[in-house]
Amino acid sequence: MSTFAIQRNHSARLASFVMYSLCVLFTVSILAVLGIVVAYLTANGWRFVSWAFFTQDPQPYGSDGYPGGMRNGLVGTSILLGLASVVGVPLGLLAGIFLSEYSSRSYIAKPVRFTADVLTGVPSIVVGILGYELLVVPLGHFNGWAGALALAFIMIPIVARTTEEMLRLVPNSYREASIALGATKARTILKVILPAATGSLITGVMLALARVAGETAPLLFTALGSRLLTFNPNYPFPSLTKQVYDYATGPYTQQKEMAWGGILVLLALIFVFNVAVRVTLHATGRTTRRS
Amino acid sequence: MTVVSPPSPGAGKPLDYPSSSDLFIRGRRGKHPISLLELGARGSGIVIILMMTGLVAVLGYAAAPSLHTFGLKFLAQSSWRPNELEQFKRDANGKIVKDEDGEPIKITIPPAFGALPVIYGTAVSSALAMTLAIPLSFGAALFLVRIAPRRLVMPVSFLIEFLAAIPSIAYGLWGLFVLVPFLQRFVEPPLNDFFGRVPGLGWLHSEATTGRDMFSGGLVLAIMIIPIITAVSRDVLRAVPRIQIEGTLALGATWWQSSWEMLRYSRSGLFGAAILGLARASGETMAIAMVIGNINQIRSSPFAAAQTMSSLLANEFSEASSDLHRAALLEVALILLVMSLLFNIAARYLVVGRGGARAAAGH
Repeated sequence: MSTFAIQRNHSARLASFVMYSLCVLFTVSILAVLGIVVAYLTANGWRFVSWAFFTQDPQPYGSDGYPGGMRNGLVGTSILLGLASVVGVPLGLLAGIFLSEYSSRSYIAKPVRFTADVLTGVPSIVVGILGYELLVVPLGHFNGWAGALALAFIMIPIVARTTEEMLRLVPNSYREASIALGATKARTILKVILPAATGSLITGVMLALARVAGETAPLLFTALGSRLLTFNPNYPFPSLTKQVYDYATGPYTQQKEMAWGGILVLLALIFVFNVAVRVTLHATGRTTRRS
Repeated sequence: MTVVSPPSPGAGKPLDYPSSSDLFIRGRRGKHPISLLELGARGSGIVIILMMTGLVAVLGYAAAPSLHTFGLKFLAQSSWRPNELEQFKRDANGKIVKDEDGEPIKITIPPAFGALPVIYGTAVSSALAMTLAIPLSFGAALFLVRIAPRRLVMPVSFLIEFLAAIPSIAYGLWGLFVLVPFLQRFVEPPLNDFFGRVPGLGWLHSEATTGRDMFSGGLVLAIMIIPIITAVSRDVLRAVPRIQIEGTLALGATWWQSSWEMLRYSRSGLFGAAILGLARASGETMAIAMVIGNINQIRSSPFAAAQTMSSLLANEFSEASSDLHRAALLEVALILLVMSLLFNIAARYLVVGRGGARAAAGH
């Protein structure tokens, strides 16, 4: 225990008051700045989202339909997310099951958990370079597969760790009851634990999807982006975020406006997913707090 | 393979199952589902470790040519010239040297690559962000743990966590179209004038203020890392035993004196929270690429354009002009990866077990 000189005199009270006020002030200013950010993003985005935004593809400057919409980006991002989920969700869920249910007698459980945590902190642009080296270099050109691989790479550790957390929330009595009825461990997991946690597992996956839906950096040198509506991941592939980046840093005013619209769509998605997670956790009367 | 009897549900013992090998021996029941599920689960655990080793191995392998060519000098070189440069030859006085026919002699300068400017850019922009973000975040964390009324804690926490989920590109867009013009018009000119006039601060002065510079980059980064530092340090502070706080209060400490004890008590966890923020800041790409100006240079003024490791990659990697250029960029990526791994590992060692593990995991 450290020693602090307790001086309940004027200066100590004044210092305390000042620091107290500063804490309040800091919180208010953080919320204010972040409120300004969100307000700009929604207000500007709202002005520039139109029906055409969802139903048209981009048109080149000077053509009749200019500036068109971002349908290709929306479709591209959806397909990339779908492809990434095909790999990322099962692997992430299984790894989460391993961490939660099979870790008690495993030497690698701790390293796996630690690695998963560290992987969530790897800069996403580095993951993009991995996708480039693994799938763009061998194929010889930018393609959607590489983008999906990079996104899956980011998803897996997130899904694994949320799954673990969610499964740990299932009371141990469920497991005991199931074994007492003679069920095997696999049956217990598949028929008792996973169903009990389905809602929270789905929201966990949605959270991971929301996270990678906003990723731009890993797509820069993998999917690259495209102005066309395409369903073929063998070639450069459009995505909402890359298109927003191109438009925002490009020269045309109307495209900059569309960038705001694109961001709003993304934000709406992320907000809905986040609220869904809160509601699910609240409804089941649980919190994700372990400590 | 040994046959183990099922564990008795003894009090206080962690719940344990017979391992799969036992079940294989004991009966046919559920043989397949067990082997498949457990195999898949264990396999996926190994996949996560393979992902990490694969990432390091692939980047190391890809950067090998550059490591071979430049060696450690790469870290200290400050020129970044992807293309050959043709220049007139000059003598010691700066006069152009001419040959017998009176034609100026041209010399070709080979491409050169050095990571110093981007390392400098990353370090300074992150440092700026940390200076702003740490006091604000710790203050807000203290507010959430010790001041906020119960019904405020949930919504404020949710807001801050939602803000951590906003993608980088959204902050970049806002930074580029709102913050940069604002700083350029109202903040940077007076500050720059001030730096120019006050003796001793001249090194902070810049000839022109464009708004897209180190200062904007640091500000945007600060805004982006505040939510994560706040969330982690809130959890860390929450894990301080109540008795510690009550003890100080019982001894007659003021609010701040007891809060200070709280901060002291959880200093390593808070340090971890800060490093986690630093890891985020130094690896941040899209937002910084949109506001920092993207010029490979080292300038002491915060109002000069700069470049970070990640923004350099974002700008040049897909259009690298030569294999050597690409290899140099890969080496930058390798430095970035190693740096972020170090930060993350350090942060997690400091935070784990101090209540911040959940927020540190980023969800």
